[in-house]
Amino acid sequence: MISDQLVEFLHGPSFLHLGTRDADLRPAHTAAVGAVAHDDRRTVTVFVPAARAGRALEHLRQNGRVALGAGQMSHEAYQFKGTFLSSRPTDEADIARQEAFRLRFLDSLRQGYPEEIARPLSLGFAYRPGVAITFRVEEIFRQTPGPGAGEKLA
Amino acid sequence: MALLPEEIKPAMQGVIPSDVVTCARDGTPNTTAISQVYYVDADHVALSHQFFNKTVRNVRENPRAAVWLISPKTFDSWDLEVEFERSETSGPVFETMDMQVEAIASMVGMKGIFKLRAADIYRVISVTKNVDERIPLGEIAGGR
Amino acid sequence: MGAEGTDPLGLREQIAENQRTIDRLNRELAKKSDEVRIIQQISSAITSTLDLDHVLEIVLGAMDRVLGFQHSMILLKDPAAERLRLFASRGYDAPGLGAEVGFGEGVIGVVAERKRMMRVGNLGMSRSYLRSVRARMEATGQMGAVESASLPGLPDAQSQLALPLLVKDRLVGVLVVESPRPNAFDELDELLLGIVGNQAATAIDNARSYQLVEKLSRLKRFFSPQLAEAIVTGGADDPLKTHRREVTVVFLDLRGFTAFAETSEPEEVMGVLREYHAEMGSLILSHEGTLERFTGDGMMIFFNDPTPVPDPAERAVRMAVAMRERVATLLGKWRKRGYDLALGVGIAEGYATIGAIGTVTNLAARLCGEARGGQILVSARVAAEVEDLVETEEVGPLALKGLTKPILAFDILRLKSRV
Repeated sequence: MISDQLVEFLHGPSFLHLGTRDADLRPAHTAAVGAVAHDDRRTVTVFVPAARAGRALEHLRQNGRVALGAGQMSHEAYQFKGTFLSSRPTDEADIARQEAFRLRFLDSLRQGYPEEIARPLSLGFAYRPGVAITFRVEEIFRQTPGPGAGEKLA
Repeated sequence: MALLPEEIKPAMQGVIPSDVVTCARDGTPNTTAISQVYYVDADHVALSHQFFNKTVRNVRENPRAAVWLISPKTFDSWDLEVEFERSETSGPVFETMDMQVEAIASMVGMKGIFKLRAADIYRVISVTKNVDERIPLGEIAGGR
Repeated sequence: MGAEGTDPLGLREQIAENQRTIDRLNRELAKKSDEVRIIQQISSAITSTLDLDHVLEIVLGAMDRVLGFQHSMILLKDPAAERLRLFASRGYDAPGLGAEVGFGEGVIGVVAERKRMMRVGNLGMSRSYLRSVRARMEATGQMGAVESASLPGLPDAQSQLALPLLVKDRLVGVLVVESPRPNAFDELDELLLGIVGNQAATAIDNARSYQLVEKLSRLKRFFSPQLAEAIVTGGADDPLKTHRREVTVVFLDLRGFTAFAETSEPEEVMGVLREYHAEMGSLILSHEGTLERFTGDGMMIFFNDPTPVPDPAERAVRMAVAMRERVATLLGKWRKRGYDLALGVGIAEGYATIGAIGTVTNLAARLCGEARGGQILVSARVAAEVEDLVETEEVGPLALKGLTKPILAFDILRLKSRV
């Protein structure tokens, strides 16, 4: 389901946005800090700060529907839609991944932002304690603006 | 009701991309990054309607949307619950957005090629400032 | 106000928010009394002068010193076209005066076209976004490479605020401030710029009208009233405006050289020629002209082609006057030996397009032919351009071979003493 190129993209320095909805189809947004595509190429884990995870988890336990948007400074972007599998608190390995992610994100932001924006935007996000949310990917869409935006890739 | 406070305005300058989450009638959520969420008045925001995309299709079925913004001044993030009201192809809001699109398009050699189709106006239902999402600026460590 | 997080953080946050609001109101009050001061200062200063440059300088100076806008520009509308030209700037390494912007080009051009203020704070991100869309369109064959206009101002501007200067809904120009920081301007800045702009628009319009009327009366001394009128209102090309690829052509030759060459020894002729070429050559070089052609004693020299220079007519005339003086010294030497030689010069100016170069060269050559020994004859256009530099005397109308109508020419007498 998830190609090599998309695995690399997901692990790269991206803005990560988690979309969920409640029983009345009211949508909600949760910002994430770091994501992992697993070896089965079907499941993805995304890390969300614990303080913000409550609402998302409520939604996911109720209906399981999830969308993850990932976009980079180059404007290349993809959306992963699927079904919630499980969640757990982030462990030391996850934290290490997030810290590496934050530094890569900082580097990438510097390409378009002055330091006074790049640093707080990357390093200023609370990420611990965190919740690791895992879902099965069922659809992948291109979101890079321009020709082909909206195209279903998988 | 004047829900949008003054301090949210820097977050509506398009300096850092925002995000919009919508939901289709079949229950599938959709998330899209947006360059700029425009301030219309204290109870309304506008999104540029470029192409007939999933966000646009969703809000015509189910008008509720969740908008996420972050301030390039304070780095506070905001969650707005909004509801799609109408699409405009003229008027002061459309003109403001249209002028901006025209100016930028002309600067990158896309004059006449990239145009604003419409301005989608949303009513603001609630505004939440996410205070616990931030590491205070003075405490940021790490990086070069 | 929005909902906050949990107490007691919430209460603290509320107090901090209130304090921020109070601070902001104080700043706004202080700014408001500044506003009154600015308006008074600018008003009295600019309504008491009709000197356009002075008005522009006062406006930009006040915007910097009082309002803190470090990078600012004023562009004025071309009377006969949908274009703007940069007339004044402040806070830039290169002033860039004379740069042109068409309606619809960039923030400035769109503001001019729509006659509405515009504020942007995210130029970097916006441009990068559209550039990547464009790259994808080019890659998928949906569009070819297209030129984007080069615009005056900071190349890395992140924020711009541009205001149309209007007099009764007629566009006079555009006032621009910019910053290398994103989100640098807010609604208060819009308000302040609007106030300055309204004051400035009328004063600028009046000063500009005055300038055009002045120019009209000057042009009438050199051209027919109808042509002068047409130039000022934009109905004809303005020869006093800097055009690209306009060439000033200088023709010169030595009167009496043929007779001298026929009756002298070859070594003597070579000697005179060598000296003459050396002297003229060094003057051509120092005035940055290009020696196009020479035939013994005759020379054809171009200014502004191939090397562009800002003031070709002035350089040509200065060079001709210097050459006349230099030759006079040489003549003194030569006449002692019994040679009767004198320098004649003709200067004309025109576009370096195909066909036109022939006309310009022909005119310069004919003027040179018409010139008596020691005379520098120039076309009306050249005379108008160097009016401040030299004293002239009208000659003609001259009926010259190859020209359909007789033309007015001017003899350059001497450099004006104050230059």
